[in-house]
Amino acid sequence: MTETARGHIDKTSLEPDLEALLAGDEKAFELLVAQESPRLFRIIHRILGDEEESKNILQETFLQAFQRMHTFRRESKFTTWLYAIGINLARGSLRKSKRMTSLDDADVERLQPSFSKGMFVESPQSWDPLKLAERTDRHKFLHQAIDKLPEDYKAIVILRDIEEHSTEEVAKMLNITGGAVRVRLHRARVALRTMLNTHFQYQSQSSK
Amino acid sequence: MKALIMAKTLLGMAPNCKKVTSFLAEYVEGTLPEKLRQQFDQHIGMCKCCGPYFEQYRATIGMIKEGKEVAIPSELVEHTMSFLRKNADFKH
Ligand SMILES: [Zn+2]
Repeated sequence: MTETARGHIDKTSLEPDLEALLAGDEKAFELLVAQESPRLFRIIHRILGDEEESKNILQETFLQAFQRMHTFRRESKFTTWLYAIGINLARGSLRKSKRMTSLDDADVERLQPSFSKGMFVESPQSWDPLKLAERTDRHKFLHQAIDKLPEDYKAIVILRDIEEHSTEEVAKMLNITGGAVRVRLHRARVALRTMLNTHFQYQSQSSK
Repeated sequence: MKALIMAKTLLGMAPNCKKVTSFLAEYVEGTLPEKLRQQFDQHIGMCKCCGPYFEQYRATIGMIKEGKEVAIPSELVEHTMSFLRKNADFKH
């Protein structure tokens, strides 16, 4: 594909033109929107699960970025800063619209295994490969479980395990330490494992 | 061999279940120091609890990574740009 006129070539890892963005240049923003919308939309959509609202949040994200360009300190990648705005807006929207009750930190704690003298109090039982093999069920159970996570845990699972951003990037996006990202990611995975456990154990589902 | 590992675990020279489970993220990521990783391998290989637990931890991550697609609305960029043209004070 050829870029039109103006003589600049389309590089794959285009760094946004900060000077042009700071100057409020429309073309520079258009390029930024074209480059970053898909990935940012995916993250927002995964947090919210609603397409219309995700579109609105995406627009609002770029508008806020435009209005707050002068506050960008260049201590992180520009896209990290941009994503942080989007994630914050998405989490705010999620908090407002939350109909289903989600878990809180104490619930996440209860979903961690208990130990006595370093040994499991309850031995984990194997999962039934037949139940695991049902792709549709698997998806359904997993996403129900992810939706129940407290929103900061949920955001970390999405950013680290699904979108595969680095711990450091995620720490900057969420304005927490790398250590906190690591700990919460692990606790979130363990909580998910426990929630899935009821579905995948042998001879579970005594009731419908 | 098993008895030896058990004895070491009891004496606190080898990791116990609690320690193994709390460092699974590092274990999966491959960031554990070599010696510790070997101890984890041994423990997970023989422990009736940590064996299935680790399998399930890994399966959970696998499932999380599985669901990757979100459909991107085709008019997304145009949509956003027309919103910005209306609301942002662009310089030309
Ligand atoms: Zn064990």
